[in-house]
Amino acid sequence: MALASAILVSGVVGCGPPPPPESRITIMQLEAPLTMDPADHTASLTMDVLDPMYECLVRFDQNLDVVPSLATKWSVDASGTKWTIELRKGVRFHDGTAFDAQAVVDSFNRLLDPDRGLAAASRVRAIVKLVTANGPNTVVFTLASSYASFPRVLAVTPIVSSRAEKQGKLARQAVGTGPYRFVEWKTGEYVLEERNEQYWGPLPAVKQLKWIWTSEPVLMNMSVLAGAADIVNPLPPIFAEALSRNRKVKTIAGEEARVFWVALNTKSKPLDDIRVRQALNYATDREALVRTQLRGFGTPANSPLAPADFAYDPQTRGYPYDPERARALLAKAGYGNGFAIKIAVQEADAQLVEALQGMWAQIHVDLKIDRMENGVFSQAIFGSPQQKAQQGIDCVFASWASDNTDPDYQLNPLYRSTEWSPGGANLGFYANPHLDVLLESAAAELNVEKRKALYREAQQTISDDAPHVLLYYARDIAAQHLGSVPIPVRLLPGGRVEFDASSPQMPVYGPTKVGQGP
Amino acid sequence: MRNYWLRKILALPLILLVASFLIFWAVRLLPGDPARLMAGMQADQKAVNAARTRLGLDKPFALQYEIFLRDALHGNLGISIRSHKPVAQEIAERFPYTLALATVSYSLAVGVGITAGILAAIYSGRKLDHLVMVAAISGASIANFWLALMAMNLFAVKLAWVPLLGANSWKSYILPAITLALLPGAVIARMCRGSMLEIIHQDYIRTARAKGLTTTRVYVRHALRNALIPIVTIVGMNFASLLGGAVITETVFNWPGLGRLMVDAVRYRDYATIQGITLLTVTLVIAVNFAVDVFIGMIDPRIRFD
Repeated sequence: MALASAILVSGVVGCGPPPPPESRITIMQLEAPLTMDPADHTASLTMDVLDPMYECLVRFDQNLDVVPSLATKWSVDASGTKWTIELRKGVRFHDGTAFDAQAVVDSFNRLLDPDRGLAAASRVRAIVKLVTANGPNTVVFTLASSYASFPRVLAVTPIVSSRAEKQGKLARQAVGTGPYRFVEWKTGEYVLEERNEQYWGPLPAVKQLKWIWTSEPVLMNMSVLAGAADIVNPLPPIFAEALSRNRKVKTIAGEEARVFWVALNTKSKPLDDIRVRQALNYATDREALVRTQLRGFGTPANSPLAPADFAYDPQTRGYPYDPERARALLAKAGYGNGFAIKIAVQEADAQLVEALQGMWAQIHVDLKIDRMENGVFSQAIFGSPQQKAQQGIDCVFASWASDNTDPDYQLNPLYRSTEWSPGGANLGFYANPHLDVLLESAAAELNVEKRKALYREAQQTISDDAPHVLLYYARDIAAQHLGSVPIPVRLLPGGRVEFDASSPQMPVYGPTKVGQGP
Repeated sequence: MRNYWLRKILALPLILLVASFLIFWAVRLLPGDPARLMAGMQADQKAVNAARTRLGLDKPFALQYEIFLRDALHGNLGISIRSHKPVAQEIAERFPYTLALATVSYSLAVGVGITAGILAAIYSGRKLDHLVMVAAISGASIANFWLALMAMNLFAVKLAWVPLLGANSWKSYILPAITLALLPGAVIARMCRGSMLEIIHQDYIRTARAKGLTTTRVYVRHALRNALIPIVTIVGMNFASLLGGAVITETVFNWPGLGRLMVDAVRYRDYATIQGITLLTVTLVIAVNFAVDVFIGMIDPRIRFD
């Protein structure tokens, strides 16, 4: 979301000549947008398409810190529950209506409306109790309880035109305040956006953005090579490795923001035994996985938080590869002769799980792979404990990237005992009352250092309990055709592409050696 | 004869009614939850439940079917959960692309297949025959998605002779049309050869030759006309199914037709779109079969449908 205002500022510094005024860039993604309504989806690739057209009250800067966007300043009272936001004046939506406090109230109220059931509403609903306008340019948010990361929630909640919302247009037509305005969504082919000449900030250099998509990674690879697409995102590591040696193409890797893991069903035998779960962790050669599966575009994981997260603790003790120790733990737990478990995995990730199968076979664990098509998988992983028991699913392969790089949005939905699937994303039914208290306290703590300390403890607690086998942190990868419009590109956490012409020093990563950070 | 056509026309609504029920029922047998897919992996249960209500999936099956049927009779095939557009509009936008690609590729397949088949029959047992048959066997056995990718890499990426993506110019048709024509072209060539070989040994061909007709006239006017009957049947059936969308070719070439729409619809359990496309395909298959029957009657007036 942040890119909305950061996007394509004219007068590019240090990255070649600025693009011609009539220029267009074509971005190819691996998935079509689901909607033009930013509140009715949770897909990062849909957000990519919408980002240039919408803005939030605040945004992330280059260092992923929160800076003003549609809001100019904000403050919080001592209780941490009342946030007062001053709005930017003179901003208009693409349909000509004024951006004001009422528009912000309307944008949040539709999220808070339980009858609307908008897909992206859950985060706001859990935090915000009331939104009121205090004059035309001030909004007051009353939270249910203190929530330190509230600005980070604001940074991923776009403000929409109240008029377009009332007209019921938003599913098909984006109406925001961003530097690009919606032109056309031809469902099977493209979304076209054009520079918003009335934009309140610096005008973008590129006139048109065209978003296209395919479900075939090999076509993305060919498209960026042929210049049929200026940017392709996301690119599988196997293509990225080859493209990084090609002079026509630049590969762009984001920060390590996506965590991959195997969620273990802590309610099913023998995974209810902590020693067994720890044994599986010790039996996993993460460095080999990074080398073979990610082609170096990532690092082994030691914590359930990703390095891109400000609260990530590199000192969290993980599980080094130690099959001997794994065997000893299994013997202690009474499973010296091994056992069989079933994992649910999407077809596209099956190769990774096959690698795990080989590793775990060394400790006599027979990992049976249930390859599933996307729709079947999404239903299976969100099964209740009873459903998973019926289907015999002992573990699932999953990943998560918090789009606002906030530890609460990474740890709360995945590990809190109130978030068991199908209601939440705690897929292995993990429960630790001490962790629940830690997560609740950390979310409310306004002091950054104290908050970090609480999350440090939470990371270690989760790691010790081993409700999962943490695998690695992957970098999202995009590629840019170098014959195209010369603008710097970077990837935001969650794999969203940002073309930010305001910064000449975009991080461009190639494959890294295993174990090294960026 | 007239009764036959009358029966066929009268049966059409009944076939469509049965087909619509089967499609409606079968789509719901697919594992996977459209509400979860619509709301997304990170959505909570409330959002998933709300999505289910919006999709009407919380209603009993019979009621859902009744609503679908009533709407369909009014030309309303529902709203796509992927594009938020009426399915009928979505199909109307995509169908021309599929129709154009199917027409071009089938014209190619029929033209090349029949010519090659005739030549192979004429030169039976000689080098040209062997060449045509090897080409036909290769065409029938090669995986068309593999061939498509190789051709794209060579002609679009390396040589840049044709565009890699889109359906904007006649050049965009070259690679997908050839890829799609390969299998039916090979089948037609083989069938045409076999059919021709059978016919050219018939007495009436000998008679035609004895009358002093030119070889071309004998083959094209007398032999081919009879050889065409099984070919027309096969071509008709395949063409009809292709009008529902060439799933693999359209996906590989990013062709904005019904095949790609269907892939996306299945992936996201977009029930309304799956139902709409399948219903259209059923209708087209019936219509094309009908046309094939008419055409066969024209080729061989001796054939009677009673």
